[in-house]
Amino acid sequence: MEEVPLLKALHTKYANQAVILGISIDTDLKRTDRTIKEKGMAWPVLADGKGFDGAIPKAYHIQGTPDIWVLDRAGKILARPGSAKQIDAILGEALAPRGPGDL
Amino acid sequence: MTLRALLLTAIVAAGLGEGRTLVAQTAQPAPITPVDEVRQTVAEARKEMDAHKTASGAPGAPDHPAVKWDAALWAYHDKYPRTDAAAIGAAEAVRALGRAELWDRAQARVAALDFEDPAWSRVAAVVYEQGIARKDLPSAIATLTRAAERTSDASIRSSVLLVLGRAHRRQGDAAEATRTLEAAKAAAQGTPVAEAADGLIYEIKYLSIGLPAPSISGKPRNARRAVTLESFRGTPIVIVFWGST
Repeated sequence: MEEVPLLKALHTKYANQAVILGISIDTDLKRTDRTIKEKGMAWPVLADGKGFDGAIPKAYHIQGTPDIWVLDRAGKILARPGSAKQIDAILGEALAPRGPGDL
Repeated sequence: MTLRALLLTAIVAAGLGEGRTLVAQTAQPAPITPVDEVRQTVAEARKEMDAHKTASGAPGAPDHPAVKWDAALWAYHDKYPRTDAAAIGAAEAVRALGRAELWDRAQARVAALDFEDPAWSRVAAVVYEQGIARKDLPSAIATLTRAAERTSDASIRSSVLLVLGRAHRRQGDAAEATRTLEAAKAAAQGTPVAEAADGLIYEIKYLSIGLPAPSISGKPRNARRAVTLESFRGTPIVIVFWGST
């Protein structure tokens, strides 16, 4: 959870350009709600209380947390950064001006 | 009665005299298993090699502590042949040599392994790691391919193929990776290796870079309106899976 301050900074920096989506693997949803509040997560957080067996963690084959994925503008998997520190550079690239071919 | 027997009798008598509680309190811990024994040596080796690194000891030097630990760890491979302790000893010996960047020695260790030796199931992962570290995955792939082809043991073959599948994937050859993992699965039906192979096949097929991300939809805990990935189309998305700590 030490990545939350970094995510907050990114959330501010890319306010209108990129989206952060949290998915909690907690099995206790009250705990999830408390953490969202305490940590001040201002981005949407999904949770179904089923832990790693929830439909989304299963579809993404999540085996441990944190696990970060970056999708491009088209919703394709762009990167799997090993740490939150790498997200900034990846987003910078994802947001680079589109080439003429993309117009 | 010999002096030794007399002494023993005296010790036993003294023990009895002091009562049973003492005996119970100082009961011997369970004897350590060969695997525990190897793991202890591995821990000592790591500690010393970490200290060597901190003291800015250079890798590649013939006086690197890895040389000593390689010998100590490899000794378990001979001491407890064909057991998991032997496999851990062999794998960690090769890993130690890799830490010291003594690649020729590491390769010689691997080359000395018989293809029927169950240590392959652990050594394979080290061969792969070192292929990455040396930026020479093709040579690691060649070594692993040979081992998988030559062994007649299905369990060794499946473990090696699992690692080989990872290596092909890392090389960007998804088709070859999938073929290799299918072969690993076929050689190990119903085992954890087959399960791991299955997982990797799924990841290659559905979760590789460049593929559309699996769909997500739901009502956030902290917002009124439901979200879907499609609703963010046109915008990069950072998905963070997390758990409360």
